[in-house]
Amino acid sequence: MEEESPRGLVNLRKESPLVSRRRFMAGTAAVVGAVATPIIGQQFFEVPFVPTPHIVVDEMLRLANVGAGDVVYDLGSGDGRIVIGAASKFGARAVGVELSDHLIYQSEESAQQAKVTDRVKFLQQDFFKTDFSDASVITLYLLPGVMRRLRDRMLQLRPGTRLVAHDFDFDEWRPDVKTTIRKNVFLWVVPARVQGRWQMRVDLPGDAFGFELEARQKYQEVDGVVKMEGPPGGLWETKLEGDRIRFVVVDARDRDNEGTLYFQGTVSGKTMQGDGARGVGSRATRFKWQATRLG
Amino acid sequence: MTVVTTGRWSAGATASSPIARTLLAWAAYCCIGAVAAATLDVPTPYVPSTRGNVDEMLRLAAVQPGDVVYDLGSGDGRVVIAAARDWGARAVGLDIDGELVAQSREAARKEGVADRTEFHVRDALTADLREASVVTMYLLTPLVNRLQPKLLKELKPGSRIVAHEYGFADWKADRHVQVSKNFFLYIVPAHVGGKWRLSTALPDGARDYDLEFQQRYQEVKGGARVSGGYLPAFESRLAGERLTFVLNENDVSYRYEGRVAGSLIEGRVRWGFGPKQNEASWRAVRVGLPSGEE
Repeated sequence: MEEESPRGLVNLRKESPLVSRRRFMAGTAAVVGAVATPIIGQQFFEVPFVPTPHIVVDEMLRLANVGAGDVVYDLGSGDGRIVIGAASKFGARAVGVELSDHLIYQSEESAQQAKVTDRVKFLQQDFFKTDFSDASVITLYLLPGVMRRLRDRMLQLRPGTRLVAHDFDFDEWRPDVKTTIRKNVFLWVVPARVQGRWQMRVDLPGDAFGFELEARQKYQEVDGVVKMEGPPGGLWETKLEGDRIRFVVVDARDRDNEGTLYFQGTVSGKTMQGDGARGVGSRATRFKWQATRLG
Repeated sequence: MTVVTTGRWSAGATASSPIARTLLAWAAYCCIGAVAAATLDVPTPYVPSTRGNVDEMLRLAAVQPGDVVYDLGSGDGRVVIAAARDWGARAVGLDIDGELVAQSREAARKEGVADRTEFHVRDALTADLREASVVTMYLLTPLVNRLQPKLLKELKPGSRIVAHEYGFADWKADRHVQVSKNFFLYIVPAHVGGKWRLSTALPDGARDYDLEFQQRYQEVKGGARVSGGYLPAFESRLAGERLTFVLNENDVSYRYEGRVAGSLIEGRVRWGFGPKQNEASWRAVRVGLPSGEE
């Protein structure tokens, strides 16, 4: 864990609106500059920060489709507004992780006022040391360097975990959805691992057959090659969202009866399964399919 | 205009992407029949669409039984027949080749869809396309681009256009799908560019905004002029006649959704979350055309 949190690594946090307003009122270019490029050193720098506007908090939680069944972690929870919003407006349970004891205190006060103390928790710690494996949603407002540091760890989370951030993204891990409500807000869904070779089994009525599928994966983006009979075919229109997968394969075993196979299903470790259709419209034939990982 | 229908497609001649090129040779010999013989001073080759290609076009257009599907350059009629037989639509094929048109009628009879299909020896560039709710085409780029203004003019907002392999140069597709080939879906946008007067009664008071949109095909941007400021319209989207946008006011996102009908837009505005959702109705009346069109 220590390696994950080198000295000088930043843990950005949100200051209370009151404080930031006061700083804005000071009005000097220097202050504005400091606000615009916020850095809070692990223990070193005390640079203030503009809190996420409430309207952007709302958009982040809306985009992540937060509901009563969710556990939301806010990394660098500042004055607690995201945590409290998740509990009070969206009915979720929520945990804020924040270094500053002053902000933790303030967050707890606000949680009491919002009457959500039974559904929120604030941890005064360095979030690089926090175990957030029970999170279903993680909210982030962190500098690009910190986002990059967190990226690999986020990818290890349970597939389907939603991550929302604003302003700064995960660089080459492209967001699944981006919206702009005053600020850019990004949503990522932690993808299951599908990279590798799979033995596919398709149970078309009266025509069960198998083929090999080789998937290549970069984050949630998947493409691949299908080895049926004849020349290798493509894996088309793939969509991986958490553990849900969709893709299209052209069934060219019989050239006089070419058909398109539409697959959808769930990835679970070394197996995938689901249903699909061969063909479209009133001519579609439904089938079940499953796949096991090879090698 | 010289109208030419050439013979067979020569593999690779017009494939635009490496993938398409690789698959083309294979695709070209496994299909029978042809689609897309049409009209042009540039010869449009007689190009076969595979069964899968036809399926994908109609799937992308999400054809419904109430639709009227026009296939421009209908060849042997396979798209038209599939639209009627597999999707329950009424479908019309236009081709300049009389022999192919006769062949199509015969094929439609055999497939039992003669009553829901029509085939005409007609040039797509001069035909009346106004009743189409879906247009499919597999034509070369020059002809596709020449058809664009006609399609935008004649088709009703919300009509879908699916182009197989060759899309419009200037108009970005609403969706781009790749299954062996490229397929582009375009939804004919309503006209929203210009000035509107938006009114709605929100719980904290009535609103009267001067709304203005700039429009380029389905892409719209704009905002509302209010006393003492400007509210940019976030997340503005136009899909056919369905317009959505978000206005931020007093730290609340108001999500507007409406249907454009000529110089009137009517719909609902929503705000809040989960159990605390609220909504009200709104309407906007056109008060001006976009700058430059007045």
